[in-house]
Amino acid sequence: MQMERRKFLESACKACLFAGAGLLISELTACSPSANVTKLPILGNTVRLPLTGFANGSLQIVQPSGWLYNIAVRKTGTDQFEALLMECTHQQNQLIANPNGFKCNLHGSQFNLEGRVVKGPADLPLKKYKTSIDQDQLVIQLKF
Amino acid sequence: MKYLQTLCLLLVISHLTTEAQNFTTTNAQKLIMTNEDSLLMGMGSNSQKTVISGYGSAYYQRNFDQQQSTATLERAVLFVGHQFSQKISFFSELELENAKVEGGVSNNAEISMEQAFLKFNLNAHQYLVGGLFTPRIGILNENHLPVNFNGVQRPMVETLIIPATWRELGIGFYGNSEKIPLNYSVALMNGLEGQNFEHGSGIRGGRAEGNLASANNIALAAAVQYFWKNFKFQVSGYTCGTVTLSPKGSDSLGLNSGAFGTPLYLGEADIQYEKNAWSAKALGTYIAYPDAGKMNTVYGNNTATGMYGFYAEVAFNWLFSKKSQASFISFARFENLNMNSSIAANGEGIYDGTEDQSYLIVGFGYLPTPNVVIKADIQLLHTGPQNPALVINPPPNALPYQQNNQFLNLGIGYSF
Repeated sequence: MQMERRKFLESACKACLFAGAGLLISELTACSPSANVTKLPILGNTVRLPLTGFANGSLQIVQPSGWLYNIAVRKTGTDQFEALLMECTHQQNQLIANPNGFKCNLHGSQFNLEGRVVKGPADLPLKKYKTSIDQDQLVIQLKF
Repeated sequence: MKYLQTLCLLLVISHLTTEAQNFTTTNAQKLIMTNEDSLLMGMGSNSQKTVISGYGSAYYQRNFDQQQSTATLERAVLFVGHQFSQKISFFSELELENAKVEGGVSNNAEISMEQAFLKFNLNAHQYLVGGLFTPRIGILNENHLPVNFNGVQRPMVETLIIPATWRELGIGFYGNSEKIPLNYSVALMNGLEGQNFEHGSGIRGGRAEGNLASANNIALAAAVQYFWKNFKFQVSGYTCGTVTLSPKGSDSLGLNSGAFGTPLYLGEADIQYEKNAWSAKALGTYIAYPDAGKMNTVYGNNTATGMYGFYAEVAFNWLFSKKSQASFISFARFENLNMNSSIAANGEGIYDGTEDQSYLIVGFGYLPTPNVVIKADIQLLHTGPQNPALVINPPPNALPYQQNNQFLNLGIGYSF
């Protein structure tokens, strides 16, 4: 009986820990400032991003299939979008998105949400892709 | 026979070339990229891109207590990077400190590799590094360019407690979550050389910095970063063995050797905030070295069993606007550190009040563009009293120790 009680307490504690961790993760996800990554296939030099995703926020992160860099797509106005390659223009490191823009952990370069350099050593803005709307999808042209 | 050798050589080269091409380009990218596109994006099969850049700083300092002024070209650092393929790159930083090293004799000058490592991209979110690199510990160690921190001098806590720029040889794994704004890193490196710790500079002297490092003892570092609204949180930890001797050598001295023998632990946490013209940061760190007493008995370094440091900084950019490239940032930073917050018992450590230091730094930085900075600040220093037991054979003209001092710092910096 003593052992059963101990096992019960151990199990209950573990369950509480898992539940707490789950709640914490869901809470962190809920207040996440950056969007989830959407993996998209490349079709004819383009990727097509459903516009419905922008209902939850103005920023979407897109990963074209097989690419080593993501594209940040930001809704800037009604039917207006900006697509930036998340590649540091200093030494080609992948960038991390945050609410104020994009940061490179390699040398500390920072770019604002428009892709302009805020902190060096980078001195060129992020590369932009052309976008257009086709019905309920945003079409991102992958060729410059 | 010679023809056969040549044929074999050609076959091997041909095979290697084909393998390299297969490795560097995915089918999807081959479909959509011309060579020009690939070069533009630095991703393609034929892109071989060498980048040269760098940073540097110079300063003037007036020490009011000692009535002494100094000017020096503090650092000139040359970056050379090369992209072998879309997945493999090389990064390096070659640093010259204080401008001149002549005939192997230096006046606090140094030529060193600050970093030299290969980076292997695994995917868009994860990569490996191998070589001499700066692990993610604190704020400054990864981001130490003069245009990116306030003050002519780097924060003292990240100089004397976290010995930035702290680089060691090893491998590191870096990544970020696709679901939540979280970055992580783990690094395995050579450990610190405990016999080289020096009283007055914490663990700084124990860094091998890629120079014939002992690999008998190793180090493990890990960090997690999380972004929330305008905040960035980081927690990092480090542990290593500090005895470089073999078991034969260390046993006779009563020291524990091995990978994590005679361990040292470092913990750090920091918060950074940025919103429009305002920015702020706070950092705290603690080092525990439980067996410092044993090391002191053998090496006589008077290393402490515990050290801590923290700082907080607030800054405001008077020229902030979404279109302005220029910044005029005024800031204030308070720092407190103690390189002997706890010492070994039984007379194996001697307390030194001068290692308990507080700094107040107030100043500004003007950046006409993000990569050029002109800085000025006033630094007020207060320390604990000097321990007379540690003053051995003072020079006849030595002045009484002053617990308070003031400095004027003027500096310039650049990066590109």
